[in-house]
Amino acid sequence: MSTLVQRQEIRIEVQEARAEAARNALLRTTLALGVGFILLPLVIVIAYSFSSVAYGIFPPPGLSLRWYGHLLSLASFRGAFGRSVSIALLATALALISGLLCALALVRGRFPGKELLRGFLLSPIVMPKIVLGVGWFIFFARVGMQGGIIPITLAHVIVVLPFIINILAANLVGLDVSLEEAAQDLGAGAPTVLWRIVLPQIWSGLIISGLLAFIVSFDQVESSIFLTRGENNTLPIEMFLYMEKWQDPTIAALSALLILFAAILVAAVLLVARGTDVRRMLLR
Amino acid sequence: MKITRAAVLALLAPAMALMIILYVIPLGLYFINSFRLFKDGRIIPIWTLQTYADYFTDPFSYKIIWESVRLSLIVTALALLIGYPVAYALHTRVRSAGARAVLALLLFSPLLVSVVVRTYGWFILLASQGLVNSTLRAAGLITEPLSLLFNSRGVVISLTHILLPFAIFPIYSVLGRLDLSLKEAAQDLGAGWWDTFQRITLPLTMPGVVAGTLICFTLALSAFVTPRLLGGGRVQVLPLMVYNNTVEINWPTGAVSGLTLLLLSMAAVWALNALLRKLPSV
Repeated sequence: MSTLVQRQEIRIEVQEARAEAARNALLRTTLALGVGFILLPLVIVIAYSFSSVAYGIFPPPGLSLRWYGHLLSLASFRGAFGRSVSIALLATALALISGLLCALALVRGRFPGKELLRGFLLSPIVMPKIVLGVGWFIFFARVGMQGGIIPITLAHVIVVLPFIINILAANLVGLDVSLEEAAQDLGAGAPTVLWRIVLPQIWSGLIISGLLAFIVSFDQVESSIFLTRGENNTLPIEMFLYMEKWQDPTIAALSALLILFAAILVAAVLLVARGTDVRRMLLR
Repeated sequence: MKITRAAVLALLAPAMALMIILYVIPLGLYFINSFRLFKDGRIIPIWTLQTYADYFTDPFSYKIIWESVRLSLIVTALALLIGYPVAYALHTRVRSAGARAVLALLLFSPLLVSVVVRTYGWFILLASQGLVNSTLRAAGLITEPLSLLFNSRGVVISLTHILLPFAIFPIYSVLGRLDLSLKEAAQDLGAGWWDTFQRITLPLTMPGVVAGTLICFTLALSAFVTPRLLGGGRVQVLPLMVYNNTVEINWPTGAVSGLTLLLLSMAAVWALNALLRKLPSV
């Protein structure tokens, strides 16, 4: 009898082990397919940028660097890249300064209507970008500010501000208030406390939110499309308009360079922030 | 740091000035246009509800609204159906923390690249002689290339890809905070894998699923670049209507379309937040 029960138990265990192995294989395959699906469009863009022909065929009949040559001959993309970087840097800087002060007030201050105010400050995240885009078009036309990078920069400040306030507020919540109070008791003024005590503790939050703000600003299309008029196109808008007209691999060459640019940006931040918790936050 | 009332005001001043001048006023100017009338190619500066009446009695408006909602529901469902197993596999099947971090960074990496670039990638993949069609043909599954571009199929595939990281991450982060002892208790009491998943893991990760739904649905509803570039004019959704109306200087109708879009997003945010509050928090 007992051997029969044992044999039955062993059989069940073997079945369970087989089912677990099958599940393991299935889930690992799912993960591999998921990562593959996520990376596929980026990989294909890089491969396609070396195509020898202008029409959409894959795999391409031959390899060449002609689209990179063509890209470099187009001054419009170079100008647009420079404008996009300037706008993203300026908007990020403005939003970091005003966002840090605002986050301090939200976390350390006590005043009525704080939650309502926080909701208002974060609301641009859910506002459809095209609605904001038309709003800014009408607003900047009304106040007579058209062309150049100033209106686009100001618009991007609003787009990135909620992300910065959110991340910095979360960073400030975790800080030990007694350190700041000790400094104040020893006679340090508020600016000194902010500069010497608070800032050194939230470096990682500043870098992460700044990086996110830069990327979000760099990616704006519909929020800015009515503020550009050719001479001041940003890079994504220049690409968007080029794609509406032509579909040759010039855009693939540019995209490949942008993928490289993003990779370098992230690698640089990871490298600079070595030994801090920025890496831990990014690689979480 | 102790902060006085006066200091709070001073700290809030820069952000509030930016928000009022560059957010409240532009949106106000925008929505004022919904009370104007567009006639004979120009905007007539009178106060009227005529544009609302025209918009909501036109069957075409409902067609656009339904198309927007339908498309957003489809891509949200697809992103969650793909995203949940991927998040679950990443959490349960990758032992080393380093490998998990690298895979998470890879899954997140498309967000570092412009949406125009990602949409362009799908443009190449889905072309009639692109990789997807040539692979299917080589596998003998099709003889004629499928038309995947300039219709809603391409838009659905590309938008699902764009939203996938936003579906994966809330679920993955909730899985990380899950109380493993519950799972082990269930298994010790003899529950099989499926029972444990269905009765413990899935209900406890619902907050992540709802949060993912919220982000995906609102982003899908306001998507502009992908429907514009891959839809070939055949996929007409609210953001494209707002764009077209604005280009045609028909700001009043554009404002009513935009307000409709905004109300749909806000209704989704409100409903899903209410649902989130009812779920047990992890």
